[in-house]
Amino acid sequence: MKKKKLGTLILSALLLIGVLAGCGNSADGGNKSAAGSLDAIKKRGKLIVGVFSDKPPFGFTDEKGNYIGFDNDLAKRFAKDLLGDESKVEFVPVEPASRIPYLQSDKVDLILANMTVTDARKEQVDFTNPTMKVATQVLVSDKSGIKTLDDLKGKKIIVTKGTTADIYLTEHRKDVELIKYDKNTESLQALKDGRGDGYAQDNFILISWAKDNPGFHLIDEKLEKEAPIAPAVKKGNTELRDWVNKELQTLGKEHYLIELYNKYVKDALGADTDPYEVITEDGKI
Amino acid sequence: MQLDTDFMTRHIPDFVHAAGLSLSIGGIAILLSLSVACIYSAILFFQVPILKGFVRAHVEVARNTPLLIQLFFLYYGLPSIGIKLSSMTVVFIAMTFLGGGYFTEVFRSGLDAVTKTQAESGLALGLSRMQLFRYVIMPQAFRISIPALFANFIFLLKETTIVSAVAVPELLYTTTSYISLYYKTYEMLLMMTICYLIIFLPLSFLLSCIERRYQYGTHGH
Repeated sequence: MKKKKLGTLILSALLLIGVLAGCGNSADGGNKSAAGSLDAIKKRGKLIVGVFSDKPPFGFTDEKGNYIGFDNDLAKRFAKDLLGDESKVEFVPVEPASRIPYLQSDKVDLILANMTVTDARKEQVDFTNPTMKVATQVLVSDKSGIKTLDDLKGKKIIVTKGTTADIYLTEHRKDVELIKYDKNTESLQALKDGRGDGYAQDNFILISWAKDNPGFHLIDEKLEKEAPIAPAVKKGNTELRDWVNKELQTLGKEHYLIELYNKYVKDALGADTDPYEVITEDGKI
Repeated sequence: MQLDTDFMTRHIPDFVHAAGLSLSIGGIAILLSLSVACIYSAILFFQVPILKGFVRAHVEVARNTPLLIQLFFLYYGLPSIGIKLSSMTVVFIAMTFLGGGYFTEVFRSGLDAVTKTQAESGLALGLSRMQLFRYVIMPQAFRISIPALFANFIFLLKETTIVSAVAVPELLYTTTSYISLYYKTYEMLLMMTICYLIIFLPLSFLLSCIERRYQYGTHGH
């Protein structure tokens, strides 16, 4: 009796490992079949894009649940120029930490979710030319008494999992106690509820939120120097990457990104910000 | 697919630590839930007025709302009315709320399964209602409840994955943190699954052994 039970135990362990290994293999096989190739997208008749749904002004939804914002409108424009109609886009809401896994497992063709280009990420996915520049900063409550980055020592700082701020602080500031949430909205709510002394994130998101929420201010010092933000495709999908690069060039000529900036980002950052400090039109990093 | 086994071995200590936290949260939640369920069962058995209604209401709410919603309500909802609880407090309240509800149902079905003649015979022998509950009904009901109770132990332990949502660094939180930092998706998911298997397979084995012992009289092995 006991032997039988033990056998079941070992069998179930083996089974699970087998299933897991199987998952890995099929995802790997997807590499060759190129699920995100231009042909596959055209055949399918829609472009599948991973976007943010809770990060105004870049990716968010209106009251009716339509995806809008700088990145999301750009995705619609891509669909229009690739497939002839801006409705031929399927939005998949992603979180910062799920962006790369979604590309790797072929759940989306393209990630257009305010993703900063970093060396580590370049090893995992292929970035197209950038659309923006961003720096990470820390938003702190006025009561916290934090004035410089050195003051962060021993403080509780909120980050959203998988953001550049999370990666930087985890690796370089072991003296800071990090509280990690999956979603930007959760992090902001936690900051508001006083669960941390500050929130480290891309500065545009912080500036835009702080406008509506008094009692918080940005630390002037930046965590890292400015870095480009770019759309990303699955590693090896040069076909789609080259198409996006060409498309960005065309859009640059008609200043489409500036148009989107004026529509969404200008109000959030204030009219005195020079759009060219934020937007990259010529495609150069 | 090439697994980065070096990366996996390097992070074994973190996973051991996280698994320890998952287990302690689960273990404490089970003990708290058991205490709640015992008190509730007594209330239901003795038909205590008012309290009886409260227990029924709790059981229904606990069994019909998802744990994640209970956590979010306590963690993000309550601060708006000025009550700020720490993640750990929120986790224990929510898990005890959930576990208490489920365990009470388990005990209730156990109590119902004890034949009426047992209670009648006890009363005929002149036992007080308290003695009847303590010496006649409880021991039998408990034995009947064991299989369902153990299944619920495992259920509650598995529910600990959900507490990662309120930033408690247990196994799932650790896994998703590493995935988001180093993009080692398959490696970290494999590590997590192995950890859960190491915890749960021996545990269910142990529990079914105990179960068998207690059912000895009834099954006749």
